[in-house]
Amino acid sequence: MNRNYIILTLIMLILAFGTLFLKMDDELDQVDPEILLQEIIQPTRYVTTDQVAKMIIKGDPSLMLIDVRNEEDFQNYSLPRSVNIPLDSLLNPENLSYLGIKGTKVVFVSDDDIKADQMWVLTKRLGYKGTYVMKGGLNCWMQTIIEPQQPSGDASYADQETYSFRKGAQMYFTGASAESSDDAKVEVQVQRREKSSVAAGGC
Amino acid sequence: MGPLIPNGIIGDGWDFVIAILIGIAFGFILEAAGFSSSRNLAGVFYGYNFVVLRVFFTALIVAMVGIMYFDYLGWLDLSKIFILPTYLGPMIVGGVIMGFGFILGGYCPGTSFTGVAIGKLDALFFTIGLYVGIFGFSLAFPLFENFYNSGSLGNVTLTDVTGIPASYFALAFTVVALAAFWGTMFIEKRVRKNMKQYKF
Amino acid sequence: MNVNNTIDNQPKYINPYLGGVLLGLLILATVYITGRGLGASGAIKSAVVTTSNTIAPAATKSNNYMGKFVSDDHSPMYTWLVFESLGVLLGGLLSGMLFGRVKKFRTDRGPQITNRKRLFWALIGGALFGIGSQFGRGCTSGAALSGTSTFALGGVIVMFSIFGTGYIIAYFFRKLWI
Repeated sequence: MNRNYIILTLIMLILAFGTLFLKMDDELDQVDPEILLQEIIQPTRYVTTDQVAKMIIKGDPSLMLIDVRNEEDFQNYSLPRSVNIPLDSLLNPENLSYLGIKGTKVVFVSDDDIKADQMWVLTKRLGYKGTYVMKGGLNCWMQTIIEPQQPSGDASYADQETYSFRKGAQMYFTGASAESSDDAKVEVQVQRREKSSVAAGGC
Repeated sequence: MGPLIPNGIIGDGWDFVIAILIGIAFGFILEAAGFSSSRNLAGVFYGYNFVVLRVFFTALIVAMVGIMYFDYLGWLDLSKIFILPTYLGPMIVGGVIMGFGFILGGYCPGTSFTGVAIGKLDALFFTIGLYVGIFGFSLAFPLFENFYNSGSLGNVTLTDVTGIPASYFALAFTVVALAAFWGTMFIEKRVRKNMKQYKF
Repeated sequence: MNVNNTIDNQPKYINPYLGGVLLGLLILATVYITGRGLGASGAIKSAVVTTSNTIAPAATKSNNYMGKFVSDDHSPMYTWLVFESLGVLLGGLLSGMLFGRVKKFRTDRGPQITNRKRLFWALIGGALFGIGSQFGRGCTSGAALSGTSTFALGGVIVMFSIFGTGYIIAYFFRKLWI
């Protein structure tokens, strides 16, 4: 009787010790292809340039911008507070440590959508949550934030609003003087509803 | 994969069928292990019968370690399981009151049901007591509503509070429980030798 | 009956460790299937709310505590825990029949007290347990066992305060049991 109990005790101890060594692999849990497909089809991974600009201006601490272009391009121009992780060096453990932090939004930025999208698929495959792609990439950023186009006079109110926000953001990022300074400043300070149609008139 | 019902793998209609089946298994195990006798239950506090400690802590460590493996194998999404919310003050007070209830009544709610099932009158009275107690609590609720809702920490786990991974807790509980099993084996032998009469 | 741990006098209980492993696996299965653990006191709470709702619906709805559990679409009895507790009764009966423990009504008590005293204290103990389980958000099975199994802080607090209190006060109530 006692010998059986000793064996059972040992088995339980070994099983419990075993749990200590489980966690490592767990973080690189792979995604089921079906679920991955579902997520790729859905456009929810995209954030617009306006949303990114807003988060940078507000100093949102949960935002993590990752620039996936090569180092040279990154040196030439990059978004404020962004980190450079070229596509080919994603799998460095050092770089992976930026991902999968609870409560942060990782947004991938490249010239256009393609490289950022590839990066996004890779991170999903690795099982990370909370990764996004900046829609249209830096090309779109240039068109919408750095050199926003004034909408025509009969454009909708929402478009006008988007434009004035962009003018404000332009000032913030380039230091350019604004023509209608009062208006623009107010737009930056006022926190708009997140789901307003700022996406309209994007790329 | 799991949990099956929150993930929609098993439909809501099966909920109550599964509830009864799980209940039957629960009741069966409790009764078969001897939890339908208040003397067995109270024995854990007087050192003559440690069946509560053995069953309770074996179940605890098996479930804890098992959950870690289920999580590892991807069978269980730990973010989707229900975590009991923590209310610091009320839970300590509640636990102390339940401790008194346990010593005086000799049962806890689940075990009293199995006692009723096999015809124990004290279990029946305990269950009636439960009913009266909860009724009284509800009626008097406005008196201590503030206290009832105080000390809320949300649905936190040990890991959320301490930052130590869950597996360390599983291991710690296992080691303590196993040590307790061996220790109590000797206590029980000694106490029983001194007992004149022990009627199950 | 003078018991010296002879085999004949021992009731046929299963090995406690086997019971523990089975119970642990049952908790695992329950969490796996339903995403939450076992429970018992919740069923009594449903019964309380139901009777109160039948006798005085308006007062029940306006009661800050019971009002939370009343809904218009279904009876408070139509909850998971009520069905589970019915199962516990059935399971207990099943095991009792299988091992030959279902007999006519009887009372378990310590050797030094009368049956009446035992029933009186059982009633008091039950009432205390009922009150405590509401403050603790669950009883031994719901909070202490299932809560701790899922590593919830609250479960650990409830477990230690129940058993801690039990051991502290056991000495003062020893007449009841030994």
